[in-house]
Amino acid sequence: MNAFGKHIRQKRESLQRDGRPLSVRKLAGLIEVEPSYLSKVERGETPPPSEGKIALLAAELGEDPDVLLAMAGKVSSDLQEVIRKRPALFGELIRQLKDAPEHAVLRLVREVRDGDW
Amino acid sequence: MIELNTEYSDSRANHEPGRQHRDRLRFSFPEVHKDARFDLEFQRTLRIPDDDSIHYLPPGLGNFPLRHVDDFATRLPARWREHGGVMMPMYQAEAMWINFTGPTRYPFLVKIAAGKINAVTGEPWRDAPNRDPQDYVVVSEQPWLDGFCVKKGEIRQFVAAPLGSGYSVEEQVTGQAEHGGLQIIAYPMKAEEWEKVLEEQRRERERIGIRYRKAKNLMPMMECLADPIMGLAQGGRMKQSIHDDPYDFSVWDLRHSSRCFVHITNSVAWRAITGEAPPTLPPTAAQYTAAGLPWFDYYSEAPAVEGSGILDGVKSVAQMDKERAAAQGGGMLPENESTGEVRVVKLGTPPGGPRKVREF
Repeated sequence: MNAFGKHIRQKRESLQRDGRPLSVRKLAGLIEVEPSYLSKVERGETPPPSEGKIALLAAELGEDPDVLLAMAGKVSSDLQEVIRKRPALFGELIRQLKDAPEHAVLRLVREVRDGDW
Repeated sequence: MIELNTEYSDSRANHEPGRQHRDRLRFSFPEVHKDARFDLEFQRTLRIPDDDSIHYLPPGLGNFPLRHVDDFATRLPARWREHGGVMMPMYQAEAMWINFTGPTRYPFLVKIAAGKINAVTGEPWRDAPNRDPQDYVVVSEQPWLDGFCVKKGEIRQFVAAPLGSGYSVEEQVTGQAEHGGLQIIAYPMKAEEWEKVLEEQRRERERIGIRYRKAKNLMPMMECLADPIMGLAQGGRMKQSIHDDPYDFSVWDLRHSSRCFVHITNSVAWRAITGEAPPTLPPTAAQYTAAGLPWFDYYSEAPAVEGSGILDGVKSVAQMDKERAAAQGGGMLPENESTGEVRVVKLGTPPGGPRKVREF
């Protein structure tokens, strides 16, 4: 069982314990895949699904889609597009920030937003 | 670009009394010049007596906390989310001053308004600056701003009042209680003009035989409750000049600017919105003075701008309170008796040297 499949199963079962009826069949229906396929994903017998299906899973399970994508070894297509536009700049930025503490990263990105007065 | 730097002077937990906020807005324009940055802090202070005496500068009692509006969006009025920016708590009738500081002396043109009424001219808010009459302050020439410029060399203190109560400058000037808070926009000096300033400074240092050091080392700068929105009203009179712009207007880089809406919420709402305790109430001016603590006087030979006739025509909180007390038998202000003789610390140059810190 890979980490992605294990995490999906644990999260689904946790929601079930909390009273939400979320069998494999039910969840598969919600994200429009076959129950047998989702079952194989949970057991790690098949690779994680596409980005679109992972986004649907994240929405149903209340998870962050970027985190689920990372667990599946993927990067969202919008982030890929951002990096592709300025690969050297973002490559350097990410390498420089790889060991930075979270608060330092947040400080970097938290610009005060100006709105409509 | 404007960042919110949230810092504390100690590591104690959020709700413990005595925690000192060092929250500040950092304006920077790295696309213009590496030196182009300054910090803006909102200082807690005493409310000076509104007795028509002209008072010295009250001390800084620590920074007001600041938070991103976006972090509490679901608990705030919709128009705050539209405005963006940051928010801070103030008690009713609490006073505040604005401190400009920074690691360089890079000049900025800064426009400040309360309730979208310009604090220097009393005119309605517009992003673009105006030289004549000057509707802005020049940082770092202007080390701080304590209130509305009512006369040449004289301001009336910024004092918080609930928006809708009729006390705020905004309501008295426009007849509307619409915006509240503070509005700020900063423009940097053009990079080539700053390089000229640096070159002149280098030449001057060589002329008088001072070994070159970097400019920054050489010259350190000196309630979602019923109605949580606060505006700023006029408090007591204070001796303070808005310095006339010493530069030619062409030096300002009007292609680059950053602006911020600073919302003010009452302290009860602040706790409900953020879960954090607001700062404690400052002492009264009389208590502070009786404790032997100093007031401040800033010496400067820089020419000052004329006061605003519009702002001079606005009634102070005490004036309105007197009128309301006579008509209805009650106002909003707690007692704020006069202070009597005060101990004064001189700041500025030449008498008091370069120190510009209003702390004791």
